[in-house]
Amino acid sequence: MALLDRRGRRKAANALFVTFCTGAALFAIAALATILFSLLIKGIGGLNLDIFTMSTPAPESRGGLANAIVGSVLLCGVAMIGAVSVGVLAGTWLAEFGGTSPYANTIRFLNDVLLSAPSILIGLFVYYIAVKPLGGFSGWAGALALALIATPVVTRTTEDVLKLQARQLRESGAALGAPMWVTIQRVLWRAAGGGIITGALLAFARISGETAPLLFTSLGNQFMSFDMTKPISNLPAIIFQFGLSAYDDWQRLAWVGAMLIAFAVLAINILVRVLSQEQKRS
Amino acid sequence: MNANTPETFESFVEDVPADRIKLQTRSLNFYYAKSKALHDVSIPFQDRSITALIGPSGCGKSTLLRALNRIYALYPGQRAEGEILLDGENVLDRGVDLALLRARVGMVFQQPTPFPMSIYDNVAFGVRLYEKLSKADLDNRVEESLRRSALWNEVKDKLSTSGLGLSGGQQQRLCVARTIAVRPEVILLDEPASALDPISTAKLEETLVELKADYTIVIVTHNLQQAARISDHAAFMYLGRLIEFAATARLFDNPRASRTADYITGRFG
Repeated sequence: MALLDRRGRRKAANALFVTFCTGAALFAIAALATILFSLLIKGIGGLNLDIFTMSTPAPESRGGLANAIVGSVLLCGVAMIGAVSVGVLAGTWLAEFGGTSPYANTIRFLNDVLLSAPSILIGLFVYYIAVKPLGGFSGWAGALALALIATPVVTRTTEDVLKLQARQLRESGAALGAPMWVTIQRVLWRAAGGGIITGALLAFARISGETAPLLFTSLGNQFMSFDMTKPISNLPAIIFQFGLSAYDDWQRLAWVGAMLIAFAVLAINILVRVLSQEQKRS
Repeated sequence: MNANTPETFESFVEDVPADRIKLQTRSLNFYYAKSKALHDVSIPFQDRSITALIGPSGCGKSTLLRALNRIYALYPGQRAEGEILLDGENVLDRGVDLALLRARVGMVFQQPTPFPMSIYDNVAFGVRLYEKLSKADLDNRVEESLRRSALWNEVKDKLSTSGLGLSGGQQQRLCVARTIAVRPEVILLDEPASALDPISTAKLEETLVELKADYTIVIVTHNLQQAARISDHAAFMYLGRLIEFAATARLFDNPRASRTADYITGRFG
């Protein structure tokens, strides 16, 4: 009897726990779905070809978001190239060479500080080192600010996923006579590839919506521009500016911009998942 | 044992014909930071034969194996003193190129560790590091290595698929193929069958017995039957010391050290 009792209690505890977990998961999914849904409802109406072909308009005239889209892609693209190059190498150094030396621990600590630094401070910092001395707002300064935000994310995830790789994988490389850097490049990076890409995506998702650091650095530009040495438009700043404006058509554009960012991040996430699944299967 | 008398470790080491010694250690001491894991180990490994290292957990058999290709050098704080002679040259000398040493002294680990790449690329990995072979020659080398490790028939139609998709036993034989593809002179195996089922183990053992025609093989094993089945010589280690080294049949039938007798009859360890 006692045995049955205990089993009954265990089952009840299990059911309770599963219910809580399911509830929490549903809550998170519901929140996400609500955001996506409301963006869709408010953004889809404003979506038309003009969005992608015309630049941001003066109030109450025809226009689109083409300059902001181009600017955002440029800024994020350049920032991610920089952040992945530096972050993957730094994370690799921390995981494979730094060990627990005081130098490595200091870098790890500073990286964590940078990871949680308010982005407006990073904007200010870049303003003082790259905007003021060089005489003006520019795309490069904006990309630098975004890269500074993305790099610690990439560094941290790269270190973490490399440390998850079996010690024997490194030993196997060495046992075949491969120098450490060959083992890292051809074996460890490949084994940890999925995790590193996920980290890069998280970083991308984070910077794609950053507004504050761009206000201090790339500012914005009413016109289409591919020139990274000049101020350049970007979606988050447009959303900020248009969303708070009093004009209906500007507000509609802000909603479209917000929807574009959210669904672009979602699409890239799905794409990478599909690609990494394919890679695993082959 | 009386607490006042220090434990003595008498070592019984049978001779191996000098001209057949491929690899040997002389007064080898090994340290993990400050703790000493090997004490004055002197052991010969005969060419074209299998030597099994046996002993209870923590006796130093894996440590000895890991000293032979200096794989321990990956970890700061681990160091070896004494001599390890490969064809008469001390591999512990400062000037030794570790990558070249490991290309001559290959190693297979306890857990199968295929690289995250195709079966073909796994086998070709080490070869590509040191040899510039034509596509045809590389194909031949890969096939030869997979045949010798008794894996060819199972994988010949899926060489371009991932090595991670193989079963545990196949993965381990892939690791053997990868190791022999670089044509080493010595192969070290650290409990290679401990993660395998009996059928895979039997296949691996067959492979090793065939390979000894060309290689000097040193295998660490917890499985005494395995040591008895496949090895020509066996070394019993205890507390970081070599207790007894002899022809396998002799060591199992008629051990000279009482500790060896206790261990192989299952009285401890």
